[in-house]
Amino acid sequence: MSTPGPERVPSTVKVGKTTGQGKPPSGKSGKTGPSRPGGNRPAGKGRKPVTPVKVAGGRNWGPIAVAGAVVLIAVAIIGWGVVASLQQEKKQSVPWAERAAAIAGIINYRESDPDLVKGSQHKNGKLSYEQQPPVAGEHNPSWQNCNGVVYSEPIANEHAVHSLEHGTVWVTYKQGLPADQVEKLVDRVEGKEKLMLSPVPGLSTNVALQAWGYQLKVDSVDDQRIDEFIQSLRINASIEGPTAACDGGVSATGSVPQS
Amino acid sequence: MSEEKRRPGWWLPAALVVGLLLGVAIGFLIPRGETLPADGSPEAGFARDMSTHHSQAVEMGMIAYTRATDAEVRMMARDIALTQQGQIGMFQAWLREWNLQPTGSQPAMAWMPGGAESVEDGLMPGMATPEELKQLREATGIEEDRLFIKLMIDHHLGGIHMAQEVVELSDEPEVVESAQLSINSQQRDLTDMQNLQKRLETAS
Repeated sequence: MSTPGPERVPSTVKVGKTTGQGKPPSGKSGKTGPSRPGGNRPAGKGRKPVTPVKVAGGRNWGPIAVAGAVVLIAVAIIGWGVVASLQQEKKQSVPWAERAAAIAGIINYRESDPDLVKGSQHKNGKLSYEQQPPVAGEHNPSWQNCNGVVYSEPIANEHAVHSLEHGTVWVTYKQGLPADQVEKLVDRVEGKEKLMLSPVPGLSTNVALQAWGYQLKVDSVDDQRIDEFIQSLRINASIEGPTAACDGGVSATGSVPQS
Repeated sequence: MSEEKRRPGWWLPAALVVGLLLGVAIGFLIPRGETLPADGSPEAGFARDMSTHHSQAVEMGMIAYTRATDAEVRMMARDIALTQQGQIGMFQAWLREWNLQPTGSQPAMAWMPGGAESVEDGLMPGMATPEELKQLREATGIEEDRLFIKLMIDHHLGGIHMAQEVVELSDEPEVVESAQLSINSQQRDLTDMQNLQKRLETAS
C-alpha cells in the first residue's frame, strides 16, 4: 500500500523535469506539439508502423554486425590456434631418423655400413673397432651403466658399445678439456637415463657423440647440434627397443673390459 | 526492399563461419578416423598373448637373476626380465590406445592361423610348465643356470614365432616395427644363450 504512492510521485516529477515532454501537450502549443497528439488519436496507427520500422531496422543491424565481427575474429583465433597446433604436431611427428639425418656433419653408419649396425653377438675380452670412439659392433656381455652416469676417467669400448645397443647416447670429450667446458656436457647428461659421459684420450675433436650407428664430432661444447643429436637419437637408436636396461652393468672405469 | 537486400549480405559471413567450423571439425576428425585394431584383430591378440608370454619370461628371469651362479647368466636374466617387463607396459598402452580391454574373450593364440592348436594345457608355444618352473625355483648351483638357459631358449623360440606371425598379419606400423625389433633382439639372444649353454656344459 505504501509503495505505489512514492513510486508514482517521483516518476511523474522526473519525467516533467528532465525531458519536458510532458509539458508541450498540456501547456505549449507549437508546430510539432499539435501534430503528435493529433496524429495519435485519429490516424496514429497508420503512421506509427512506418517510422519505427526504419528506426528499428537501423538499430538491429548494428549488433548483428558486431556479433558477426566477433564471431569472425573468434573463428580466426581458433583457426590460427588449430593450424599452429597441427604444425607443432607435424614437427614432433617427424621420424627420428629424418631428424638425425638433418643434423649437419652427422655420420650415418646405418646407411654406409649395414653389416656393422645390424646387431652383434656378445663376445668376451678385448675387441677392436674401426671407428674411434666406436659406434656399433660386437661387444662384451656386460653393458656400461648408462643411467645418466658421468665418468671422469675413460671407459672400456667393449661395454660402452653394449650401452649404445640399448639406446644410449654416449657423449665423449677429449681428455684434458677445460673443466668449465666439461661442466656444460655434465649438465646435459647427469641423471638422465640412456646417457653417459666419459673422456677419451687423443679424441680428434673436443666432443664426439655416439649412438648405435651414428656419430657426430664437434669442436664446441656450445654447439646446438649436440642437443639435437641427443634429442633425436637417445632411446630411439636402440636396436633392443625402448625398454632395454641401463643399470646393473659395469660401473668401473679403465680401458680394460671386465667381461 | 532494403531489408531483403541486406539480409542475404549478412548470411554470407555466417555461411563462411559455418563452413570454416565444419572444415575445422572435418580436419580434426580425419586423422582420428583411422581404424584402430578391433577386439578380434591380430594386433589385439598379439598384445594380450605376448603380455602373458612375457610375464613368464620376467618371472623366470627374476628367479635366475637372484639364484644363478654364473655372472653372464645373471646379466642375461636381468636384461630379459627388465626389457620384457617394459614391453608388457607397451602392449598394455597399445590396448588402451585402441580402447580395448587387457584381456579378450577369444582363446589364446586364436589370432594366429593354426594358433589355437599350438596351445598345450593352456600354455602358448615355448612356455614352461608349472613343473619346470618349480624345478627352476628349486635348482641349485650350476644346474640353476643350465635349466634357466634351456627354458629361456625354448621361451624365445615360441616368442619369435608369435612375433613373426604378427609381422605377417598386421599393417599397424607401431606393432610391426616393435615386433621386428624384438625378433632381431631375441635371435641375437638365442645365439648368445646357445653359446652360453655350451660353456655351461663343461662348467662345474
